[in-house]
Amino acid sequence: MLSAQARRGAAPRAESAAANAQAEAGARPRREAGPGREMGPAAAAGSGAMQSLNQLRAQQFSALTDVVFRFLTEPKEVERFLTQLSEFATMNEISLGPLKNIIKSILLIPNGALKRNLSSEQVRADFIALGLSEEKASYFAEQWKLNSPTLTRLAVGQTLMINQLIDMEWKFGVTAGSSELEKVGSIFLQLKLVVKKGSQMDHVYVELTLPQFYSFLHEMERVKTSLECFS
Amino acid sequence: MIESHERVKMAAVTEEQFAALQILLKASSKDVVRQLCQDCFSSSTRGSSKLIDSTRSNLSVTSDEAAQLICSLHNLTRHIVYRGLSSAEEILSLFPENFHQSLKNLLTKIILENVSIWRSEAQSSQISLPRLVDMDWRVDIKTSSDSIGRMAVPTCLLQLKIQEDAALRGDNPVISAVTVELNKETLDTMLDGLGRIRDQLSAVANK
Repeated sequence: MLSAQARRGAAPRAESAAANAQAEAGARPRREAGPGREMGPAAAAGSGAMQSLNQLRAQQFSALTDVVFRFLTEPKEVERFLTQLSEFATMNEISLGPLKNIIKSILLIPNGALKRNLSSEQVRADFIALGLSEEKASYFAEQWKLNSPTLTRLAVGQTLMINQLIDMEWKFGVTAGSSELEKVGSIFLQLKLVVKKGSQMDHVYVELTLPQFYSFLHEMERVKTSLECFS
Repeated sequence: MIESHERVKMAAVTEEQFAALQILLKASSKDVVRQLCQDCFSSSTRGSSKLIDSTRSNLSVTSDEAAQLICSLHNLTRHIVYRGLSSAEEILSLFPENFHQSLKNLLTKIILENVSIWRSEAQSSQISLPRLVDMDWRVDIKTSSDSIGRMAVPTCLLQLKIQEDAALRGDNPVISAVTVELNKETLDTMLDGLGRIRDQLSAVANK
């Protein structure tokens, strides 16, 4: 299945597919057999990255891991991430270019792990197979375990939603009179639903009578029960 | 200025129109009158050509006379429903003094019979935002996506069937369906809002 995935990976995704393929192939020793793409330059860079990481002191490695996970749990903070990386590079006298390449390889592991729902032991084993020292692999796997609820939640949040309901505004009032009836005195309820259609926001306006409102409320409570049942 | 306003209100059914109503005396039975009252209330002020034709033949009058009768009857019934008149005295007092007695009594009787139905009809066809006609929902469990291989996340799909203003489209209103997706968080927020509406409604009702 993974070799199919590696083949399907279009140019921009080739690196991750290769890294995934390599992570899976981790159990097997590095060998020439198998489709050439699985052992491409990205994979080689991956194991090169591990060697560089092995050379860091434990303290440096944990600082770097923290930077990585801080970014993963707050993926919008790109600038902060890049700043922290260059600070790390400066403090530890590593050039930024090679460091970024190492980070690229590291970042792919957690994403692949989410897609394949890996346990922390599996993540640790993958790192070890790639050539990372046991101590560092265990540390990273620990951090993965601690952060995986957040990372899972973020991944779920990114999942496709169709015509997502963004907001609901409402007003209700009394119809005092109309051109047909001088005195009315009936209650009306108006809802405005803001729906995300693709990249645009659509507004849906709807009016409900009072019995319809109570019926709607009742149905929504049933939905809530149903959702809670399956949470 | 108040005077002219009163005059306009009183002029809901003019003397001319009351005169035209007497054409009903040509009706062959009370049922014909009853049917005509109902048809004229529901029609437009001018009446459809179908209605004018049938009135013309039923009462053996000219098209003009038929049209005049329809207009008068429409205005009379609509005026009574508008003002919310509900007693015989109130309705009888509308007629001019020289109006045919038994026709007056018959019309009053027929109108009283129909006034609450007509009131509901007016209320249900009043202008409004598009109305909710139907609502359906379903709960799905998302098991997998491109960003995460395995999950079990419930989500709700809600479909609202909405009808455009009935008055605009006559007999063929357009009903459109809007389907939206809500996650648990959105649903909770929505229920909060609906709950607040319910509380405010009870507060208003209890005053």
